[in-house]
Amino acid sequence: MRARRALAVAAVLAVALPLVAGAQEPYPSRPISLVAPFPPGGVADSTARPVAAALEKVLKNPVAVVNKTGAAGAVGMQFVATSKPDGYTLLLALSSISIIPEADKIFDRRPAFTVDQFAPIALISADPTILVVRTESPWKTAKEFIDDARKRPGQISYSSSGIYGTLHMATELLSHAAGIKLRHVPHAGAGPALTALLGGHVDALASGPVVVLPHIKAGKLRALAGWGDTRVTALPEVPTFKELGYPDAEFYIWAGLFAPRGTPEPVLARLREATRAAVAEPEFRAAMDKLQTPIAFKQGDEFQKFFDADARRLADGVRKVGRVEDKK
Amino acid sequence: MLETLGNLGLGFSVALAPSILLYAFIGCLVGTLVGVLPGVGPLAGISLLLPATFGLDATRAIVMLAGIYYGAMYGGSTTSILMRIPGEAASVMTCLDGYAMARKGRGGAALAIAAVGSYIAGTVSIVGLMLLAPPLADFALRFGPPEYLALLLLGLFVLAYMSSGSMTKSLAMAAFGLLLGMVGIDQMSGYFRFAYGVVSLGDGLGVVPVAVGLFGIAEILATAGQATPPRVVKPRLRELLPSREEWRESAAPIGRGTVLGFLIGILPGSAHIISSFVSYAVEKRLSKRPEQFGHGAVAGVAGPESANNSATSGAMVPMLALGVPSGPIPAVMLAAMMVHGVSPGPLLIQQKPELFWGFVASMYVGNVVLLILNLPLVGLFVNILRVPYTYLYPAILVFSMLGVYAVNGSVVDVWIMLIMGVVGWVLRKLDFETAPVVLGLVLAPMIELSLRQSLAMSDGHYGIFVQRPIAGVLLGVALLLVLLNLYAFVRRGLDWRARLALAEKGEETS
Repeated sequence: MRARRALAVAAVLAVALPLVAGAQEPYPSRPISLVAPFPPGGVADSTARPVAAALEKVLKNPVAVVNKTGAAGAVGMQFVATSKPDGYTLLLALSSISIIPEADKIFDRRPAFTVDQFAPIALISADPTILVVRTESPWKTAKEFIDDARKRPGQISYSSSGIYGTLHMATELLSHAAGIKLRHVPHAGAGPALTALLGGHVDALASGPVVVLPHIKAGKLRALAGWGDTRVTALPEVPTFKELGYPDAEFYIWAGLFAPRGTPEPVLARLREATRAAVAEPEFRAAMDKLQTPIAFKQGDEFQKFFDADARRLADGVRKVGRVEDKK
Repeated sequence: MLETLGNLGLGFSVALAPSILLYAFIGCLVGTLVGVLPGVGPLAGISLLLPATFGLDATRAIVMLAGIYYGAMYGGSTTSILMRIPGEAASVMTCLDGYAMARKGRGGAALAIAAVGSYIAGTVSIVGLMLLAPPLADFALRFGPPEYLALLLLGLFVLAYMSSGSMTKSLAMAAFGLLLGMVGIDQMSGYFRFAYGVVSLGDGLGVVPVAVGLFGIAEILATAGQATPPRVVKPRLRELLPSREEWRESAAPIGRGTVLGFLIGILPGSAHIISSFVSYAVEKRLSKRPEQFGHGAVAGVAGPESANNSATSGAMVPMLALGVPSGPIPAVMLAAMMVHGVSPGPLLIQQKPELFWGFVASMYVGNVVLLILNLPLVGLFVNILRVPYTYLYPAILVFSMLGVYAVNGSVVDVWIMLIMGVVGWVLRKLDFETAPVVLGLVLAPMIELSLRQSLAMSDGHYGIFVQRPIAGVLLGVALLLVLLNLYAFVRRGLDWRARLALAEKGEETS
C-alpha cells in the first residue's frame, strides 16, 4: 500500500516537475541540438560545426550538431519546422530552404514545410557562385559565352547538383536574365557535376568558388563571371554578371541559422546576441578561413531583407523552370 | 621509378612516425568494428567519425579516415560468413558462399581466406594507386554518362550468372530489385516516386536496410521456423585454417578480384558493391565446377572479398590525383581535407607530397595492421557460432536494428529492414534467391540516371551511345556476350544450370 502511494507521488512529480521547471528555467539550461539537414562533409555540416563550437563557448552550454539527412535536405528541415519551438532545436539551412517549398508547390504536393515555419536568427556565410568552363573551350569571356549561347539556343550544356538544386537555379537565373537557353544535364550532387565538366561531358558549370579554385589554379578551368554583388576575393579579375549588365543574375550559396517559428522572443534575442558574439570568436574565424568561406554576418531586419529577396528570386526561378516534362 | 621510391621513402618516414602510426591503427580498429556491426558500413563510419578528426592535422585525419574505410572492408566479411548478415553492402556476395562454408564447419577457413585475400588485394592495389594515379585518373574522367550506362548494361549480364537455380526465378528477382530501385525523387524531374507522402523515402530504399533484411533477418526467421533447430556447428581448432587445397583454389580468384576491383573502383559510382558482384560472376563463369557456387565455393569468398578491398584503393585514385570524388565515401574524405585547409585538386600531389606519400605509405602499414588484427580474431569470432541460437539470434536482431538505425538515424530504415526480412523469408520458402534483388536495387538508379543524362547530353539522340568510342566498345562486348550465350543455348539446349536443376530434382524424388 505504502509502496503504491510512493509510486503515485513519484508519478505525479515526474509529470509535474518538468512543467514547473519549464516555466522557470533560464535559457539555455540543457543541450541544444543544431540540425544540419545534409551529411557530414557538405557545406551545411562544415559550417554548422564551427558555429556550434563557438555558440557553445558563448552560451556556456553544450551545442551538438545533428545530421538529419534525406530528400535533398527536406527531411531535416521538416524535422525542425515541426519540433518544439523552445530554442533547443535549431537549424543550419542553405539556400535550398526557399527552393524546396516552391518545388513542392509546382508539383501540387503537400509541402514538407514552408518558409514561414522558421524564425531567422542570423546569416552566417554567403558565397556567390561563379561560371566556369574548361580552359580549352572557345569562350574567353562571359560575353563570348552568352553571345554564342544566343546563336545556338539549347546547344551549350551545363551540369548541376540536381534539378532545382542550387547550381541549377543559379544557371537558370542567368539564362532568364540574359535571354539564353542552355541544355541542362542534372547530376547527383556537386561533386559529380564538377567531374562531368572536367571530363568534357558538359560545357559549363555554376559552382561555389572554393571547389573550383584548385582547378582554376591548375589551369584546367577558366572562370568567366560571378553571380555576386561584388567580385570574389580570390578571383579579383573575374567580373560579376551585375557589372556585365545582368543585375537579375544574382545568386549565393548561403548558410543561415534558424529556429522554429513560435520560439519565444526572449530566447530568440538571446540566440541573436550569442550568434553575434560567436562569429567574432577567433576560432570560428580560423575555421571559416580554412574552408575559404567568407563570413557574411547579417541579423534582424538586414537578414530578413536578404532572405526575402533571395527567396523571391528563387521562387521566381523555380516557377520559370516549371515542371520539366511540361515543356515538351 | 627511382623518384617514386624516393617519394615512398618520404612517405614511410611520415607514416611510421609514432603519432601517424597510432591514428592509422585507431582507424583500422574502428573500421574493423564498423565493418563487423551489421548495417554500419564505411560511409556511415566515416561520416560519424569525421567530426572527431577536426582537432587533428590534415595528414593524421586523412590517414585515420582511410583506415576506417579499408578496415571496414576487412570487417564486413565477418558477419556475412558467420551469420549471413552483410556487415556492409559490399559483403552481400560473401553471404552466399561464406555462410555455406560456415555451415559446413569451414567458417574459420572462410574468414582466414577473406582476410588474406583482402590483404593481398589491398597491398597490390596500392602499388597501382602509387604508380598509375595520374594517367588512370584522366582515363576515369572520360567515363561520362554514356560510357557508364554501357558498363552498367554489361554488368546486367552478370545477373545471368548469379543464380545457381532457375534462370526465370533469378531474372524475376532482379526485376523486383530494379522496381524497388525506382522509389525516391526522380533526379531528372524532381518528382517523388512511390513515396506516398513519406519524405524520408525521397532518397529511395537504402541498400543496407534491404540487404540486412533480405539476408540476415530472413535467415533468422527461417531458422526460427524449423521444428528442430539446426545443430550448432562447433568449430575445432585445427579446422580454423584453410587447407592446402582451399588455398590453391583461392589464389587465382584473389588475383582476378584485385585487378577487377581496382579498375572498377576508379570509375564513379558504388564501386565496391559492383566490384564484388562482378568478381563473383567472373569466378563462377571461369570455375570448372560452377555448381558449387552458393554451396560453399572457396572462390566465391576469395574473389569478391579481394575485389571490394582493391576497389577502395581504386576509389582513391581520382580523389587524390584530381580532387574529384568517385563516390560518396571519397566525397566525405575530400570534405575532410577541406575542413583542414587542404584544397584537394590536380596540384595536391605536387603541393603536399608529404600528405600524398604519407597517405600511400600508411595504407601499406594499415593493411599489415589489419592482417595482424584480423587473423587472430578469426579464432575469436568463430566461437560466436558456439552460442546457442536462442541467445544468438535475439542479440543479432538487436544489433541489426541498431546498426541500420545508426546509418541515417532513421526509423523508416528499420521498418524497411523488417519488411524486407519478411519478404526475404517468403521468397526463401518459395525457393527464390535474393542476391539479384540487391543487385537490381543497386543498379536501377544508376542505369536510369546515366541513360537519361546521356539523352539530356545528346538532346534525345540515341547515337551518342555508339559515337563515343569507349561506350561503343563496351556495348559491342555486351552484345557479343548475348549472342554467344544465345548460340550456346541453341547449340546445347541445356547448360549446366539446367542440368543442375534436373540433378536436384532427381535427388528430391529419389
